Amino acid sequence: MDETTRTMSGMSSEDRVQSVTSTSQNLVSSNSAESSSPRGTDQASRQNNLQRIQQRKHQVFNWPQLKKLLKLANYSSCQADECKCNGWKNAQPLTKCPKNDMQQPAANFSDPCRSCTHVLEKHITHLQSQSDDEINKLLGMVIDVDNIFMGMHREEDPDTKKVYYYLFKLLRKCILSMTKPTIEGPLGQPPFERPSIAKAITNFVLYKFGHLSQREWQAMYDLAKMFLHCLNHWNFETPSARRTAGNAEEAPAYKINYTRWLVFCHVPAFCDSLPHYDTTLVFGRTLLQAVFKSVCRQLMDKCHSERDRMSPEKRVLVLTHFPKFLSMLEVEIYSDGSPIWDPEFKQVPPSHLQAALESKGNHSRRPGEFEKISVAHNDKDNYTTINISPGLKKLPEKRSHSEGRPDLKRRKNEEAFEDLPEETVAEIVATINDPNYMCGPDAVFPPNVPRDETAKIEESRKIIEFHVIGNSLTQPVSKQTMLWLIGLHNVFSHQLPRMPKEYISQLVFDPKHKTLALIKDGRPIGGICFRMFATQGFTEIVFCAVTSQEQVKGYGTHLMNMLKDYHIKNNILHFLTFADEFAIGYFKKQGFSKDIKMSRPMYQGYIKDYEGATLMHCELNAKIVYTEFTAVIRKQKEIIKKLIYQRQQEIQKVHPGLTCFKEGVRGIPVESIPGIRETGWKSYAQTRTRGVAKGTQGPEPMEACLDVTDSLYNALKSVLNTVKNNSTAWPFLKPVDKNDVPDYYDHIKYPMDLKTMSDRLKARYYVTRRLFIADMTRIFTNCRLYNSPDTEYYRCANALEKYFQTRMKEIGLWDK
Amino acid sequence: MLRSSPSKMPFTADAAAHQIQERLKNIYNLIFEIEEERNRSEHNLNNITKAHDKITPDDKVSPYYQQKLKSLYSAAVSDAQQEEELIRKALAKINEIRAIRNERRIQARNAGNKETIRRGALMKMLLSSAQTLPLYVGKSPGAKPPPLCGAIPAEVTYIAKMGDMVAALVKGSEEEENWILAEVVQFNPTTSKYEVDDIDEEQKDRHVLSKRRVVPLPLMRANPETDAHALFPKGSIVMALYPQTTCFYKAVVNQLPTTATEEYEVLFEDATYADGYSPPLNVAQRYVISIKESKKNKSQS
Repeated sequence: MDETTRTMSGMSSEDRVQSVTSTSQNLVSSNSAESSSPRGTDQASRQNNLQRIQQRKHQVFNWPQLKKLLKLANYSSCQADECKCNGWKNAQPLTKCPKNDMQQPAANFSDPCRSCTHVLEKHITHLQSQSDDEINKLLGMVIDVDNIFMGMHREEDPDTKKVYYYLFKLLRKCILSMTKPTIEGPLGQPPFERPSIAKAITNFVLYKFGHLSQREWQAMYDLAKMFLHCLNHWNFETPSARRTAGNAEEAPAYKINYTRWLVFCHVPAFCDSLPHYDTTLVFGRTLLQAVFKSVCRQLMDKCHSERDRMSPEKRVLVLTHFPKFLSMLEVEIYSDGSPIWDPEFKQVPPSHLQAALESKGNHSRRPGEFEKISVAHNDKDNYTTINISPGLKKLPEKRSHSEGRPDLKRRKNEEAFEDLPEETVAEIVATINDPNYMCGPDAVFPPNVPRDETAKIEESRKIIEFHVIGNSLTQPVSKQTMLWLIGLHNVFSHQLPRMPKEYISQLVFDPKHKTLALIKDGRPIGGICFRMFATQGFTEIVFCAVTSQEQVKGYGTHLMNMLKDYHIKNNILHFLTFADEFAIGYFKKQGFSKDIKMSRPMYQGYIKDYEGATLMHCELNAKIVYTEFTAVIRKQKEIIKKLIYQRQQEIQKVHPGLTCFKEGVRGIPVESIPGIRETGWKSYAQTRTRGVAKGTQGPEPMEACLDVTDSLYNALKSVLNTVKNNSTAWPFLKPVDKNDVPDYYDHIKYPMDLKTMSDRLKARYYVTRRLFIADMTRIFTNCRLYNSPDTEYYRCANALEKYFQTRMKEIGLWDK
Repeated sequence: MLRSSPSKMPFTADAAAHQIQERLKNIYNLIFEIEEERNRSEHNLNNITKAHDKITPDDKVSPYYQQKLKSLYSAAVSDAQQEEELIRKALAKINEIRAIRNERRIQARNAGNKETIRRGALMKMLLSSAQTLPLYVGKSPGAKPPPLCGAIPAEVTYIAKMGDMVAALVKGSEEEENWILAEVVQFNPTTSKYEVDDIDEEQKDRHVLSKRRVVPLPLMRANPETDAHALFPKGSIVMALYPQTTCFYKAVVNQLPTTATEEYEVLFEDATYADGYSPPLNVAQRYVISIKESKKNKSQS
């Protein structure tokens, strides 16, 4: 997995997009081929068809003027007085030329018209004064009319046929009147819905993946582009085909959208005299909701059937990431409250993304768009009671993919190669979970249990419960909810005497505000009233109180942790609040700071401003389960203590004191002190780069104590030399020069390069292969961190890494 | 009590642990002795029942049976006294353990390593120390409970001991006066003033106060089933520790405890509530004391 993502992003972004695009084009064309009703074109390959049409037009535009006029005469009205004939028709029977149906060599200006009997010249007098451009434009329409005419005849679906006929007539009329075709009437004008599909998908990528690293985010962004590309070239089902599939209630809406799509997107794609719009730019939620499921199904089927023809990288992207991407997208598409459909969606992407967005693709936004502030807000949220407690129990499970072994990926790449054996950990955990552990005369009052411990125990015993509740104007609110809201109102107004009661009522009962209520004996004894600004990515905490006789029991901390977990589930990672002088202490304990890390435009104009209060900010880390946080830290602390203790038992040995100083020796090297090496101590040069706490970690120090064997030295030397001689090694030969890249060391805290590695090798620093691998990997990760994926450097890093790993595997110095 | 004997010399954590261990051993043995005593009582009580069974049919009790019953009853009484003695011994040992722990705590504090207790933990400690406060059990049914049992105030001459909990009237930062929960550091007999520490460590205040401003908290709980008269009657005005705080406020007793483990239910004077009183709140016996007339009232009287 790790390796494949790396290689995948190793390709330049353009390569990637192209390869993706070609897949989707295949998909699209085959989708069309499968479709029962070929529309407009022969469908062997839509792409080919479009090209053929273009060639044909080109060819016609190069005709001599005379020939052009002869052609146009067929579609132009007779200019003779009172004559209503709208096109010259050859009086002579057509010579059968089914393919080159426009060939009418016999015609000339004096030939009479079959219907009005005026000569041909009469049909073109008005054209002779026209410019070449105008003539060509008319000819383009003529070709389009012919194509539509053929399409209409081939079309089997009656509804679609009607649309072709309408467009056919429209174009005919425009040729006659020499006007530009415009489509008016009940269909409306594009865009039909806001936000557009393209905008919503971009929002989705920002909303769901904004927190990812640049590399991972890029992959998601490319999937989004691929999906949009597919939609733009998709042949949608006819309403009648769909009706049989049974979507009766939305059928009328679909029919309208389908017609719009034919008229504005599908037909204009091959009839370029009609104004063309991209499906994803003019349609919005209704269409996407209607077609998403079937599109996904067909897309995935197609992906699977083509899997063998894909490159391994693309296979990973398309078969592993794409389905996940689509299922996440599906949730948002069908969720009423999803912010991706918010016309004012605003989430400032991390800086690297902003650059990517602005530089790439047709759906990048103008920078100014982010600045726009509006209070419009869609509020279709469901405000009924949500008990988040059961949800929380599921959280650790849900996050287990990424959370189960945190930093697994990074660990593998870089630092701790020596993980503890599972048994050791299990043993220690068993010990510290043993109720008899740490039992003694002082165990009656364990001095400093975490603040929220009691509250958590009470929650597990159902003494207290937590609910997120809120008022609603559009949906029925249960009596229980109302009673609790009133109770909360009383708690807030009693505990916050400085707040006017009316103001508290106004916010607690406002449908946009929700309250996390703490319920004991069926009555609220505390709560946090908050307002989510999903589009802004933050929540404002408005009131926070626990009734006085229930204070100092850890409820406040537990409430806040609950709120944090609730928000992580809702993908909001910022809290803002105006804290008065009494509340600052509380908020500080809960991880809030007066240092606001959010950019001002994100919250200005949204959050209520209070005089004399201090704005405080808390950023959440989505990887943390806050209600479990103290317990986890505590456990980790115990494990470390236990490990230190175990290690002490293993190596405990009393050495006779040093006597050399008595004999006049002024100093000795640290490593010559008896026993010091056994403790895992390393010289400065080693600890500096390896970081601390290495000494307590299992077998590594023992390995380090062994003399460096010459065979390892020689093996590493040969690998290092071949790596240095590789054609992609040139960026990494020397340390990066600060003069060339002034900000490099601001970003890269642990620089590494091949020269430094050679020096270290000579100094016999690489006493294990792991140190060597770690330094080498550091070179590549640094490079990928600093450079964007479309740079030569980035490609070099990927290529050289692969090469390095191959070489290591060859000589058996690589795991797995 | 223990305080006079072994603790002249500062004792270490180990010594304290050792002493506690010893007392735990004593208690363990006492429990067996109590069980033995109880069995003996059981036997005698059975005999009494049997004797009664024999004599019920006719009303007249023969002198033989009179004698027999008399001796049986006195044996039962002495058995019960023995058992009581043992139980009291065991309780005394428990109190000794409390005293040792308290002593140890005071010494550690005086030595400068004052353990910092978080507020939440402090509240828990206050609650549990009130729940485990020794229960007064009179030697005889009519015995008068001693001072500092339940609502019985201390004698006028009583001096609270080092480490005892008191309510102390201290001046706040803005001239307002508050009854706070404090611990006695020492009493100076020449100035007749107490030195007390605010129990809330976040305040970190030491106060020197005249005797008048210090009210010792009860050292024993009164059992409502046997010593109801040692409780504040319903409707009396008291000072009570507001739940989850370390301050005493004026309150009205709303409901008395009915068992030794129950708490008072009081209504605090609280202008922020519409009717001027808080909703009913529970406060342990230890933290309900009789109100002291404020200085102003006193000078008027």
